[in-house]
Amino acid sequence: MIDIVDVYKSFGKLEVLKGINLHIDQQEVVCVIGPSGSGKSTLLRCINQLEKVEKGHIYVDGEEVTDPKTDINRVRQKMGMVFQHFNLFPHKTTLENITLAPIKIKGVPKEEAIEMAMSLLRKVGLEDKAHVYPANLSGGQKQRVAIARALAMQPKVMLFDEPTSALDPEMVGEVLAVMKDLALEGMTMVVVTHEMGFAREVGDRVIFMDEGQIVEEGTPEEIFNNPKNSRTQSFLSKVL
Amino acid sequence: MAELWGIIGGLSEIRGFQVVWENLPYFLEGALITIEVTALSVAMGMVLGLFAGLFRLSHRVLLRSVAIAYIDFFRGTPLFVQILLLHFGILPYFGINEAFTSAIIACGLNSGAYIGEIVRAGIQAVDKGQMEAARSLGMNERQAMTYVILPQAYKIVIPPLINEFIALLKDTSLVSTIAVAELTYRGNLVYANTYQAAWVWGAVAVIYFIITKSLGLFGDYVERRLKTE
Ligand SMILES: Nc1ncnc2c1ncn2[C@@H]1O[C@H](COP(=O)(O)OP(=O)(O)OP(=O)(O)O)[C@@H](O)[C@H]1O
Ligand SMILES: [Mg+2]
Repeated sequence: MIDIVDVYKSFGKLEVLKGINLHIDQQEVVCVIGPSGSGKSTLLRCINQLEKVEKGHIYVDGEEVTDPKTDINRVRQKMGMVFQHFNLFPHKTTLENITLAPIKIKGVPKEEAIEMAMSLLRKVGLEDKAHVYPANLSGGQKQRVAIARALAMQPKVMLFDEPTSALDPEMVGEVLAVMKDLALEGMTMVVVTHEMGFAREVGDRVIFMDEGQIVEEGTPEEIFNNPKNSRTQSFLSKVL
Repeated sequence: MAELWGIIGGLSEIRGFQVVWENLPYFLEGALITIEVTALSVAMGMVLGLFAGLFRLSHRVLLRSVAIAYIDFFRGTPLFVQILLLHFGILPYFGINEAFTSAIIACGLNSGAYIGEIVRAGIQAVDKGQMEAARSLGMNERQAMTYVILPQAYKIVIPPLINEFIALLKDTSLVSTIAVAELTYRGNLVYANTYQAAWVWGAVAVIYFIITKSLGLFGDYVERRLKTE
């Protein structure tokens, strides 16, 4: 589903990704962990081309997103992205947040889009908030709406960048529950997270990144119970 | 009440007051032309300013350069000079000789440059994550601007836009130099015939002030409305 081949990325002089190779299968849930500044967000943002790579290739669902000839707007419709700070559209209601892109970009008829949005809201447990503006939602509710918004484009992959890091602790669970349901339905997911419990329970594979490289990868079992690399060990000893 | 009549009776003895009183309809008609010039210029300026602001932020070098040149020129030279240059130097080549039309084109181009900067600032004030969220859903840049960024920028833009409106209204007094019969032009004529400087220019100033103050109050009201929305 996703193929990342020898990807390099710098911001000015700062090398942020230094030769990333990663293959992600359909229906796989890959959790990316690692210290702050290690390039996790940048990697995720390169996958949907919010950042351009300097060198290397990225393929999503058989299409090369790093090829300038690719219609990136079309390929982005196959990838939902959930941001740490939700980035809901504040001038639109919950329902409008969800239906905007399907109606305007995909040309889905309005009634159909609303119907789908309502069923997505039911799925994330926010049916009753359809006509509320984001300013009147809690953080956890906002993030669930953001997930529904991304799902409304019927993506094949979902990218999550620390979806619970900006939430009060008591709201983390409700968002992770929605993500877990999604994983169980067979969604392909790449999740950058500090929630080790989630990575252990839901992840098929865990990637540990440090200083722009994938230092170690394996099943949650392998990474959490038996890390081989000393950098992984020292990171995990700090967070667990 | 009787006192008030007494005051008015006393005033009517004063020559300057008589001049203002007799010319009041003439001045108010001029004020209407001032408002007309301003409104038409601002309408033109808003269209120009929207594109100037958008082009200013464009990734295309050509569009960006054109916008920068336009904004820099009209903000970097006096409106007075722009009016003279356009009316006498440039617009006649396009068959435009009418002062009223020149005035609107000059003021419209000038306000377009200022509004362009207002639009740019408004767009940049919208959180960066909004553009990213829109793009991540598959919107192209134009769709993201139309559906996500501009509807949020407009609220940020309205207060400075009203300030620009007020500033332009005052600046339209400069078109009196090409004989557009707006308020200042009429003040000049009446002054030249009567030499009642304090009364004539005082009255002109008060009329300008009433208009700009009303606009300012309207601006405050709109701003309050936008905040509660
Ligand atoms: N737009 C940018 N311009 C310049 N530097 C950037 C930019 N985005 C990220 N960086 C830098 O790149 C490095 C990697 O950033 P990135 O956000 O990918 O890290 P991260 O692993 O997601 O960290 P965190 O856990 O704090 O989110 C950091 O040093 C960061 O300061
Ligand atoms: Mg990050």
